[in-house]
Amino acid sequence: MGMAEEIITEPNYEKLCSNIINSSEHIRFAGFVNDKSKILHSSERDNLDPLLSDHEIGMSIHYTLERWRKAQNFTFRLGKERLTFTEYDQVTLVTIPFKGKLLLVSTEPRIHYDPIIEKINSILTDWEKL
Amino acid sequence: MENGTISYTQLLREDLGIFRVTPDGGVPDFKAGQFLTLGLPLESKIVNRAYSIASSPENKKFFEFVIRWVRRPLPGRLTSLLFNAKEGDKISWAKPAGNLTINDTLANGEKDSRRIVCIGGGTGLAPFVSFAQHLHDTNDKREIVVLHGASYVDELSYKQLLTDLENESIDKGKDKWNFKYRAAISRPEEWTNRAWHGHKGRIEQFLRSNDAGKSPLEELVGEKITAENTMFYVCGWQGTIDGTMDYLKNKNFVTEKNKREDGSYEVKFESYG
Repeated sequence: MGMAEEIITEPNYEKLCSNIINSSEHIRFAGFVNDKSKILHSSERDNLDPLLSDHEIGMSIHYTLERWRKAQNFTFRLGKERLTFTEYDQVTLVTIPFKGKLLLVSTEPRIHYDPIIEKINSILTDWEKL
Repeated sequence: MENGTISYTQLLREDLGIFRVTPDGGVPDFKAGQFLTLGLPLESKIVNRAYSIASSPENKKFFEFVIRWVRRPLPGRLTSLLFNAKEGDKISWAKPAGNLTINDTLANGEKDSRRIVCIGGGTGLAPFVSFAQHLHDTNDKREIVVLHGASYVDELSYKQLLTDLENESIDKGKDKWNFKYRAAISRPEEWTNRAWHGHKGRIEQFLRSNDAGKSPLEELVGEKITAENTMFYVCGWQGTIDGTMDYLKNKNFVTEKNKREDGSYEVKFESYG
């Protein structure tokens, strides 16, 4: 008998980012990073002034990953982390773990987040069904 | 088990620390590269775990350890207690043991004057910190190379001590003290490591030959590394051991565990995890 070959399909990050950006006018940015800080793909809404320099984006990703890694230290007690929000005056940062990677989304601040999160989760779930 | 006191703690990162244990009855004789079993009470039991000793046998004031607090998938029981412990807390310990010690003679009984190359992954550096200080304090004339692999620059736990030992070698001359230290960072693209300009990649890649047929280690020491001129000591995760042997086995290096009929070998290792 032959060995069953496991087929691992990497998500189409470009398409996922595009779908997420297009799911709400309030979303400024969507990107996926791996656990080594590498941006796998990212998309930004057109004609927005960047809030961070490239160097600061690197810092921001680093802080986000550090927080994510530390949050995983409680997985054995609290289960898997599903979502975080950080609301600044000028922007809200959302992170959602997805298949060992981290989805980073930024939105306008002080909006109704629930519909946005529902849409994002729906996009991610739809991909998983494929 | 004997009794002692946690006499010094220093956190390098949230999950990496240097700990000193001062035994009640003084530091017993041991060999550089050995480990010590430490014990702390937990729910009316004593939890024990072995850690490589980073201090040298010549240091009779305390044992020193560099310890990582592993927390996933579950937090280590003893390391959690250690990272919560305060200076002055009591701790128990069992006598030093372990075979990752320096060979001073060859299998045929002759003096071992081969170069010593130590490869430490993460806290697997600890026995080689003991090696380096011991060989320094005993005026050993062999060439010593310590290679340390880490994911992040703030995990290079003994960079200052080992750099100082290399600088002393440069100042005094190789005939008096022949020591080199290099480190490799395996996640150079991460923000924490943005200013790292040393070797990038896994530590065992120091043994990988470049297009000209020379490895970074050979460029460092200035000659071809052979089973006749170099003895390797390796400590770290099994992946570090396996990665090292992938390079060495093709060059006729054999490990202590698979020594030749005449008893000779060129690689000693200890894995953890």
